[in-house]
Amino acid sequence: MFWRILKKDLKRKKTMNIILLLFVIICSMFASASVNNIMAVTGGIDHYFDIAEVPDVTVSMSEDCEADKAISELPSVKSVKTEHYLTVMSSKHFTHNGKKLDNFINPANFLSADEMGMKYFDMDNKVISSVDKGDFYCTSPFVQKMDISEGDEVVLEIGDTTMPLTYKGCFKGALFSNDEMSSPYIIINNEDYRTLAKDKYFNAGSLSTKRLYVRTDDVGAVRDAVKGDDNVYLSTRDEEKGEYLYDMLTAYIMLVISIVLMLTAFVVLRFTIGFTLSEEFREIGVMKAVGIDNGSIRRLYIVKYLAISVAGAVIGYICSLPLSSAMMKTVSEHMVLEAEKQGMLGVISSSAVVVIIMLFCYGCTRKVKKLSPIDAVRSGQSGERARKKNFMHLGSSKLPTTGFLSCNDVMSAPKRFGIITAVFTLCMLLMTLMSNFAVTLKSENMLKFFGVPTCEAHIGDMEYMQDIFTDGTAYQEIIDKTEKMLAENDMPGSCTMSFGANYETFCKDKSAKLTYTVTKGKTDDEIKCDKGRAPENGDEIALTGYAMKELDADIGDKIKTVIDGEEREFTVTGKFSSFQGGGYAASLCRDFDFGNDKITTTMGVQIHFDGDPDKKTIDDNVSKISRIIESDKVYTTSEMIKQVTGMSDTLDTIKKMMMILTVIVTALIVILMERSFISKEKSEIALMKAVGMSNGNIIAQHTIRFAIVSVLACIVSTIILMPVSNLVMNWICSMIGDVSGLKCAFVPVEIFAVCPAILIGVAVIGSFLTALYMKTIKASDTASIE
Amino acid sequence: MNTVLQAKGLCKTYTVNKHKNDVLKNIDLTVYEGEMVAVMGPSGSGKSTLLYCVSGMDKVTAGEITFGGKDTSKLGDKELARLRLNEMGFIFQQMYMMKNLTVLDNIILPAVRSKKNHESRRKTEERGKALMKRLGIDDVCENDINEVSGGQLQRACICRSMINSPKMIFADEPTGALNGSSSDEVMDELLSLNRDGTTLMCVTHDPKVAAKCSRVLYLVDGGIVGEKKMGHFDPNEMSIRDREKELNSWLMERGW
Repeated sequence: MFWRILKKDLKRKKTMNIILLLFVIICSMFASASVNNIMAVTGGIDHYFDIAEVPDVTVSMSEDCEADKAISELPSVKSVKTEHYLTVMSSKHFTHNGKKLDNFINPANFLSADEMGMKYFDMDNKVISSVDKGDFYCTSPFVQKMDISEGDEVVLEIGDTTMPLTYKGCFKGALFSNDEMSSPYIIINNEDYRTLAKDKYFNAGSLSTKRLYVRTDDVGAVRDAVKGDDNVYLSTRDEEKGEYLYDMLTAYIMLVISIVLMLTAFVVLRFTIGFTLSEEFREIGVMKAVGIDNGSIRRLYIVKYLAISVAGAVIGYICSLPLSSAMMKTVSEHMVLEAEKQGMLGVISSSAVVVIIMLFCYGCTRKVKKLSPIDAVRSGQSGERARKKNFMHLGSSKLPTTGFLSCNDVMSAPKRFGIITAVFTLCMLLMTLMSNFAVTLKSENMLKFFGVPTCEAHIGDMEYMQDIFTDGTAYQEIIDKTEKMLAENDMPGSCTMSFGANYETFCKDKSAKLTYTVTKGKTDDEIKCDKGRAPENGDEIALTGYAMKELDADIGDKIKTVIDGEEREFTVTGKFSSFQGGGYAASLCRDFDFGNDKITTTMGVQIHFDGDPDKKTIDDNVSKISRIIESDKVYTTSEMIKQVTGMSDTLDTIKKMMMILTVIVTALIVILMERSFISKEKSEIALMKAVGMSNGNIIAQHTIRFAIVSVLACIVSTIILMPVSNLVMNWICSMIGDVSGLKCAFVPVEIFAVCPAILIGVAVIGSFLTALYMKTIKASDTASIE
Repeated sequence: MNTVLQAKGLCKTYTVNKHKNDVLKNIDLTVYEGEMVAVMGPSGSGKSTLLYCVSGMDKVTAGEITFGGKDTSKLGDKELARLRLNEMGFIFQQMYMMKNLTVLDNIILPAVRSKKNHESRRKTEERGKALMKRLGIDDVCENDINEVSGGQLQRACICRSMINSPKMIFADEPTGALNGSSSDEVMDELLSLNRDGTTLMCVTHDPKVAAKCSRVLYLVDGGIVGEKKMGHFDPNEMSIRDREKELNSWLMERGW
């Protein structure tokens, strides 16, 4: 009997069932793909680290540092493997097809194939055991935005060495980031490596480094062994997982989208079940009258939704495979994934969608209990009457009749239209949040969190400022030569340079390694403190919240460190936000000097042209500087932001995807709801036609209802957009660094015009087209309506 | 007497599962101004279908219908809607009303929509209230439709049918869902309307209701098989009981 009733029901409510099926498909598709992605990234990292033989501790240091001896001698250390690197500061030393490379900004590091301290994999996930002479493998940042194929030749010209190398493909290194902004790594044959190492270019202090891979049961002992050595960087296996933060962020964004879709599907389901039950009061009443119990009646409905959800979940799972593989493509370019687990996860998450929907359906069919056999006799009226206050009156309203009826409908069913407004608000937020995130990551405001002062042009070429890495006082020479070059070429301006070094810092009995930053040169910019004030003297300092927490320091406390061989004491004057040093940063007054200490980080040279030139002049000047210093790494501010926050382009893509998804989801909701309304209000539609209302009037009334609801959703989402944007953005930023109190930027046209126009447009067009269906209801249908 | 409604060769066929069912067969009918016509017949004889077809609520399969001089079978949906709004009134067995509107708003809705009288909404509202007062339901004008009794609701439906001063009112079993006393009250109102000059066509099963009409048409299997002219009801001339007796014997002759 179940099957007969089910078959009949599926046929009778074809459109509603199809839309419901579509929702389940979308839900299942996104849930399966995003869970797959999240599990692959989070769970997959451990698997990848295991097979790549990532050690317990990784310690990086310069070639001349002798901390490795102290580590090797520790009794808790089981083994130490060492990798040596040769660093090439600029991409312009590489030539491909006769053109100098300009596709990566950070220095490239060469590694000998004979010294590989971990397992590295080629793109087919095969372990690289050797590299032939003249060949090379590289990480993806080296070949980004480059048209290169296996077998192509790349020529390295550095110092007195010219070395042609054949590209064998990319490789995956568990500890090497694939972020566009990361340093590329290149594995070459040991013989080639030795040839390169002999070149005088690498004699400069910081261009030869080494990395120790330590297996130990006592990470603390290794940490203690290198404590106080400022130029040694230690990271544990867990800390290295942070390299995959970017992949995780994208995966979490997709999961949030899935959850929103799932919530939307629940609302749609709730409406559909509610409408079905209220429409079928007579059937339910009759079933109860003949003695069928509540459970059996509920089962009838649940069987139907089970059929739809199982079908939807299966189709959704199949559809999720290409989506999942598209999402996993990026991840699998970075990691070696467990192939067999992926399919299973998709099946599990699709099944979870079915279970969740079923539980929800069971809850929604509670109304069956309330309906009694009397409902069948009394046309759904229980006989009890409750006074309902009508807020609007046709006689006193100034609205046209159609507008009045639409407004009155919305006001008379606040719960129903409130839920639709909430769903539309969610859809709207999906679009506008992404728009805000993308524009915020592109805004000039972000640069200050990377310690970059306001300016019009940036020189990001590391080789141009190479001297700073060996001598902390070299900044003045770099600033002077840049200002001189600008003046000689009719582009007068002043320059600043931001740079920093890492120091072990002490406060009371606590210690932490912090990135100390300072901006030198002429600028009116001052760091903005969230609490307290910016440092004004050489013995004052501002700390990030993370640093203050780690050191248990507060404003007014004194912290100590050793800079240029001298113990220095600073008074903490304020708390500031920064992405530098992963949020563990300290900002010094402009008067402060690092002396001859090695600088470890710089955000380049910032140029502020005299006389506030227009955009075109700035662009021309940037091209001119680029030609003069023979470097492609001279940027306008907007280009620099793009270089620093590489995620903005991805968010732009996600934003566009969101817009398409919102159009689809909104259209489906509108079609389903409007069809439900038409079926529920059939008697009223017929009556209106009978008393002389035209099709156009009634279609307009239904369309205006959705227009009102979508306008309301736009208003609500606009009101809550900025607080929600700031909250989420700050949460994301807190994972990358210690940034709080960030105010999201927004594009007014997008927020107040484009996104609302999309939502309102889809709602109006969707409801109008669906409402055309009511033409099939005739005035004479009043006779056949119960 | 002027003709309000005329139907010639009216046919209506429904097709269910490829099976054709001729509900109305070649019906000729004329309703004159000021008449109160009752349509009677056994269940399934086509009474309601006839009412819906002649009022333009349903399309005819064949035939010609003229209402107020206009051939309604040639009018489009929009023109038909305008005709129903301005020139016709409807009363149904089930007291259909807009659930989200008050009783008064339901009554004045066609007038506000029509703008036939070129009056302000305030004026329309006053007319609505006056009609309600005339029918004795002015105390429920601000009530929600589920807060009034069946009899009150049917009288509100009569008010709605009258609000645009139509040429003719069509009533489909107007007392079918009412108890005895409410039924009498509603019929009295319809009679009063008719006395004031409104033409009425009323489908009914109840000889007591039909006995108050000036003419009775008897339908069997989609065709008019009898017509009884009874003249306007005047209790001074003949009691309702006698009219009902006369009608009953006429109906029994036709197999009622």
